Amino acid sequence: MILRPTAALGVLALAATVLVPGLSARADTDTIVFGSPISLTGALTKEGHLTQEGYEFWKTYVNAHGGIKVGNKSYKVDIKYYDDESKNDTSAQLAERLIDQDHVNFLLGPYGSGTSFTVAGIAERKKIPMVEGNGAAERIFNQGFKYTFGVLSPARRYLEGVLEMAVHQKPAAKSVAITSASDAFSQEVAQGAATWAQAHGMKVVYDNKYPDTATDVSSVISALKGTNPDLIVNAGHVQDALLVQKGLKDQNVMAGGYGYTVGPDTPDFANSLGKDANDVFGAAQWSDAVKYKGEPGFYRTAQEYAKAFEAAYHHRADYHNAESTAACLAFQYAIERAGSLDPDKVRDALAKLDVVTFYGILKFDSRGLNVYKPMVVNQIQNGKLVTVWPAGLAEAKVIWPAPPWGKR
Amino acid sequence: MNAALRSLGLSGITGNPVAFAVALALMALLLFVPAAHNDYFNLVFRNILMYAAMAYGWNLIGGYTGYVSFGNVAFFGIGCYCSGVLSTHGVDSLLADVALAVAVNALFANLLGRVVLRLRGPYFGIATLGIGVAVAEIIANLDALGGTSGLALHQVDEAHFGVYYYAMWLVALASMLGTFFITRSKVGYAFVAVRENEDAAAALGIPATKYKIRAWMLGAMMGAAAGAVFAPANGFIDPSITFSPDSNVFPIVMTILGGIGTVAGPFIGALILAGVNELLQRYIVNAHTLFFGTMIVLVVLLLPRGLVWLFGLRGGVRAWLRSLTAYRA
Amino acid sequence: MDGILAGGVLAIVAIGFSLVWGIMNIINLAHGAFVMLGAYVTYELYAVYHVDPFLSLPVSFVVLFAIGYAVQRWIINWVVRAPILTTFLLTFGLSLLIVNVALIIWTGDRRGIETAYSGTNFTLLGVTVPWVKLFTLVAALVITGALQLWLTRSKTGRAIRATAMDIGAAQLSGVRVARIYAIVFGLGAGLAGVAGTLIALSSSINPNMGDPFLISAFAVCVLGGLGSVQGALIGGLVYGVIQAVATSVQFTVGGQLISGSGLSDAVAFIVLLLVLIFRPTGIMGRAVA
Repeated sequence: MILRPTAALGVLALAATVLVPGLSARADTDTIVFGSPISLTGALTKEGHLTQEGYEFWKTYVNAHGGIKVGNKSYKVDIKYYDDESKNDTSAQLAERLIDQDHVNFLLGPYGSGTSFTVAGIAERKKIPMVEGNGAAERIFNQGFKYTFGVLSPARRYLEGVLEMAVHQKPAAKSVAITSASDAFSQEVAQGAATWAQAHGMKVVYDNKYPDTATDVSSVISALKGTNPDLIVNAGHVQDALLVQKGLKDQNVMAGGYGYTVGPDTPDFANSLGKDANDVFGAAQWSDAVKYKGEPGFYRTAQEYAKAFEAAYHHRADYHNAESTAACLAFQYAIERAGSLDPDKVRDALAKLDVVTFYGILKFDSRGLNVYKPMVVNQIQNGKLVTVWPAGLAEAKVIWPAPPWGKR
Repeated sequence: MNAALRSLGLSGITGNPVAFAVALALMALLLFVPAAHNDYFNLVFRNILMYAAMAYGWNLIGGYTGYVSFGNVAFFGIGCYCSGVLSTHGVDSLLADVALAVAVNALFANLLGRVVLRLRGPYFGIATLGIGVAVAEIIANLDALGGTSGLALHQVDEAHFGVYYYAMWLVALASMLGTFFITRSKVGYAFVAVRENEDAAAALGIPATKYKIRAWMLGAMMGAAAGAVFAPANGFIDPSITFSPDSNVFPIVMTILGGIGTVAGPFIGALILAGVNELLQRYIVNAHTLFFGTMIVLVVLLLPRGLVWLFGLRGGVRAWLRSLTAYRA
Repeated sequence: MDGILAGGVLAIVAIGFSLVWGIMNIINLAHGAFVMLGAYVTYELYAVYHVDPFLSLPVSFVVLFAIGYAVQRWIINWVVRAPILTTFLLTFGLSLLIVNVALIIWTGDRRGIETAYSGTNFTLLGVTVPWVKLFTLVAALVITGALQLWLTRSKTGRAIRATAMDIGAAQLSGVRVARIYAIVFGLGAGLAGVAGTLIALSSSINPNMGDPFLISAFAVCVLGGLGSVQGALIGGLVYGVIQAVATSVQFTVGGQLISGSGLSDAVAFIVLLLVLIFRPTGIMGRAVA
């Protein structure tokens, strides 16, 4: 008979524990706390970890170098993370928790356009500035939000560089086949690619999408094989790049070149595919070959950043790390210029920001998106990722056309 | 039939009256959440109420009628999009949202039910799974409904945000009380008759098909109402949010944890599951899903008949221990 | 042709799933996790000991059989006679557990296996056929045949079928039901491991890889008929073909171009629904009991 009241008490106790700890306010006033819901588990685990690395790397540096100066006082930096399991809605809820319960000062974006979009909505409602480096879909910025800023180039620019480079090769690429995953980011990338191609006289011989949870894209590949494109591009994330590249080899599809978004720049791509990853192009937000000279306050060149990063994390810095760090840098410079931690003042400082960093220029258009930074194109040559376009930044010559499968 | 139910540890078709009283008391307590003026609490408990309503909807067809559906998320999702569509056309009234969602889904469930409820057991389950998947994919492909990018809905300003909470509370209450009254009526007994032995019930003159469809329709309406309120409360919907596997699986898991075929079960299950999930996410950031899975395993092994059953257990701890071996091979 | 090859993979995943569901009335939501473990077994053998993936097939079978046996005997067995939803919930929790442990051990990094023969293919009648996928299909056929033979001829196989038909009678004939259940579950897990090994050859490996296969496995099992081994095979092939065909379709509705490839899951499930309407127990019906 003791079980009945015990069970009832248990339920009430549970309700209480959910409520009580949340009622405390944050005491420490010497630290600026950033909050970030990121994908520590779920489909985008790896990408979420790369984002976290970028944030943490910045935090370690800043805390070791005197923190952020706000007026006369120096503040240390801390970042609070929650796991959004790669789910859009969970990310938004966690953002709300970070603001209401944990009383963070500012938000650092999650990984991915879907999650960035929902979190942006929360940032807007709560009037807390958010800077993100991993959600490139323009619809995030077409909502009229005032509190969200993206340091990365927009989605539709992703493949433009690859197309542009292909058009300038000998023999010039005249036709392109576009495959894309069904999520919003990939669709924007694909549309941007198609628009650019058509505007510059390239023929789009294939343009189709597949569900973003697909485990097998062989039917899509068979269909595109028959169109004999000079260039094959895929708009998607790491999983898509792997699937498509493997699929192309499986079906012996030959083209002058293969271009992907997100995938080739991550270490996983080359590690998983070995020799088959060679000669593949990756559209990148940044590479360690770029020649920007950044303002003081952080590593000033891409090379310095890459070297220090690799020493700390034992893998080559990829652009996801860099763009996440860049998001933090935007806050750092904005806060210092605003001279205050007041959310609205920092927001205004972000809107006016115009600073060069190791990552590129950090400047936002009226929507909050960084349209001023160009994309680069990398190519995997002999297992190493090198920048090949724009010509001014190229570390190596473009390998075009790609050798047949088996001869890489 | 009541004897059979009693042997399951349920004191009647509606489960345990004490559990029901506790559930009602907790519901009353939840009325005070907006008074804390904490948006995050609002969100957490609003979600609990939403899942509770969905769980009640599932409970009617899965728990009482014995037709385990893996696709009830379709009703929730369509309910969300009803609100979305109304919002894009300028209609922002919660009442209209719920009314449209309930009507559309009742019709949908009715038509679909005529086809799908002819299948038994696992075949019905997979058919409903397919419906969930198909509806989600079709909507994701329709640009008119926003495709994979989703729809943004008009939201009321911060000061009036509480209205969404109270609306969801009403939906959950209606689902709970609705379940109570439906199952105590002739209709409820028909549901259980179908579950226990459909062919015998039919032989006794109970029109099984009619009642099966009715159970599904009522359940659909509950899920739809929850979706209709969720959409404007969230301000944004897209297929990944509205048709997420979580929205599909959680109501089922909550009902099983609380106690299938009871009135208090879905609500208590929702409270506990969401509450634990919340705590785990807060304190064990990196491995919370691991602990969550472990917790589920332990609960199933220790309380295979759900929590509400615990309320009616006679014999205290020793009886409980003895019951643990009831299902061994 | 792609459809048939893709279907071969689905069939292998589904066979184990169908067996456990049909004989033990357990929907094993952890089946996807078992597939993933099989893939990792192969990966580890390959990466550390340089064992060719095909040679690791028996290893992953044995390892997963052992894991499945243990899981059933010491965890699931407590509630194995409970209503199907109870075990459903249990396997749901187990799935979360296994995937997250894998995430801790191997992290979310996506890994791959590249051998000398990866991606090699031959052309037949204008269609390019990758060797690895063809082998997977052949393996599916071989496994189905072998399993069917074993179930009908061997003593254990017959004991299994007896248990599925009537537990009471089986027990009276001396069948130790607990042991049979553990064997069946282990078998299901072992088959999942084999599927994982074959999948590892053509897909990237990461802890979450099992989930999409699980959903297809559901559909394939029911399509082919629960508990029927041949049913799972046929169901898998049919499902694969339907999806492949759906991908190549494009049509316009209300001014918007809709491509079939985005709807392939929906189409497959709708076809499944139609099949069930006309044959409520799947294509092959309920072969066991």
